[in-house]
Amino acid sequence: MPGAALSRWTITYFAVALLFLFLGETMMVAGVGFPSAPLRAPETLMLVHIITIGWLTLLFLGALLQFVPVLVGRSLRAERLALPALLLIVIGLVCLEGGFAALAGVVSLHTHDLAVGAGALFLGILIAVTIIGLTLWQARPLTVPARFVAIGIGCLVATATLGGTFALELSGINENEIFSRLVLNGLPIHAVLGLGGWMSFTAIGVSYRLLMMFMLSPDSAARVSRAVLWIGAGALMLVAGGIAFIIAFAAPLNASLTIAGIFAIVVVGLYASDVVRIYRRRVRKTVELNSSASVGAYGALVASALLLTVLYFDHGDNAIAALIYAFVFGWLTGLGLAQLYKIIPFLTWLECYGPVLGKSATPRVQDLVREKDASVWFVIYYASVAAGTICILLAQANLFRSACLIQFLASIVIVAQYVRARRLADVAPALQLPAGTRRPNLFLSRSS
Amino acid sequence: MIQQPHELDVRPILRNGGEPFQAIMQAVSGLKPGQGLRLLATFRPEPLFRVMEGRGFTSKASEIDGGDWEVLFTPKAAAEPAVDVSTNAEMPQLWPDPETSLDLTDLDPPEPMVRILAATEQMEPGRVLFALLSREPLFLFPELTRRHHQWVGSFDDAGEAYRLLIRVGTKTENSDG
Repeated sequence: MPGAALSRWTITYFAVALLFLFLGETMMVAGVGFPSAPLRAPETLMLVHIITIGWLTLLFLGALLQFVPVLVGRSLRAERLALPALLLIVIGLVCLEGGFAALAGVVSLHTHDLAVGAGALFLGILIAVTIIGLTLWQARPLTVPARFVAIGIGCLVATATLGGTFALELSGINENEIFSRLVLNGLPIHAVLGLGGWMSFTAIGVSYRLLMMFMLSPDSAARVSRAVLWIGAGALMLVAGGIAFIIAFAAPLNASLTIAGIFAIVVVGLYASDVVRIYRRRVRKTVELNSSASVGAYGALVASALLLTVLYFDHGDNAIAALIYAFVFGWLTGLGLAQLYKIIPFLTWLECYGPVLGKSATPRVQDLVREKDASVWFVIYYASVAAGTICILLAQANLFRSACLIQFLASIVIVAQYVRARRLADVAPALQLPAGTRRPNLFLSRSS
Repeated sequence: MIQQPHELDVRPILRNGGEPFQAIMQAVSGLKPGQGLRLLATFRPEPLFRVMEGRGFTSKASEIDGGDWEVLFTPKAAAEPAVDVSTNAEMPQLWPDPETSLDLTDLDPPEPMVRILAATEQMEPGRVLFALLSREPLFLFPELTRRHHQWVGSFDDAGEAYRLLIRVGTKTENSDG
């Protein structure tokens, strides 16, 4: 039967993800990882994986559990596997961090933790991908947004597989020639497939549908979104093809990364123009905060494309780190925080008031939030990320930590708004809890 | 939505020298949207194929044991926009005419869901509501089912508006059995 029910575990995924965001930001303020440590140091790897797996991957998986059913108009398959997937990913990440800490000599743990962590992570990701994949499978032929997600989860599996071989090699459990070739040359591919394939492709696909839904724009410019899909998929194929090259020739295929980079810039240009069109042709006059705050993320995406061209001339660690930082915190995190500002109140509203709609007076979704309180903090957030990017480019490690502190404070205030929405704190007392409703839990949706 | 085809065996009628056409047409008009018909006959019913094609069905005939024939009539999916039907919907073609009509195409989601649920709460069991929306209300569907309402919906030919018929659940259906 068509329809999209409230996803039972999405809020839990979001809550855990936000805790990891706070942890990662605390690490940056404390000076863990680049630029205080070298770019490829275990400390930097600890930070990078807290952010990319703990925060972004859990955020995106949680969002997909709710929105893939909306994309395909079918209910979620194998939903009971969502909690085991979350637990395995969190346990795997903790072990992985222990392994990196052992590599860094911070703690006297065994580097075998790397392999154990990678194993649990891989299994958890595979389970999550199975849930999403089965849900997509029943809706073939896929629409364009759903195809973005399908390619995204494919890249997630490829990224996790490559990461798994790194962990086996670095932990010393299974050292062989192929794995060591991959460790020496495969890092850029692991990063590009993760950040570009998994997260960005998924974000683009879901945002196409969400933007049109929230702003009531016509979905007619299918040609542009198809071009974004195919050129982007081509770029990712080129990058993934580099894996075979490395295994065969023990050398990176730099030309494929360069061509993929050019493709990526074209994709960003096309996508940005499409987003501008969607905003301009919207039927809904007022732009809500989730959509206006996303503009900063699109700006950061375009800025990342510019930094990518800088990278062509300057292969230095600072240029690479500035690109990754702007991309991860400006584009992916910015978009995530902005969309959560709509998604969390909406899911909370649906969970709490859905069963009594029409039976008693209920608040509107927008009554759960106070946009004015939050909007200035999104501006501060993006400004701090821009400042942080410049600090990295100029190799100012201490100034960078100050920028991160402001970024951390802005994130806390924004997340506090989600908590207020979840607690119904901004709803007029008379409407807060009509008969038959219960106050939602912070970390867990009640299935009705 | 995949439904089991309705099965009709006209071999007894044919063996008794009767004329099965009326029984077949009665079965056809009783099919749910998107449902097929599985017909069992003593010969390959060639003339019926053209009749059914006119009604938007493709046919596939195969010989079974004893020289009898089995024909599967499947509705052509591409010609008509897909129809969404709640699993509890029974015979939507027999529902009474809608007593309430709502044009919700100008409202921002989730306001259409709020209006529809408010309207159904005011209606007597068995009555029908018609609503026009700009998008398929995916989050409304589970809530309708939870309240034991039946529904059928589809996009119009231009794909610009979603038409939804809701039959308010009766008292007996309301008792969580």
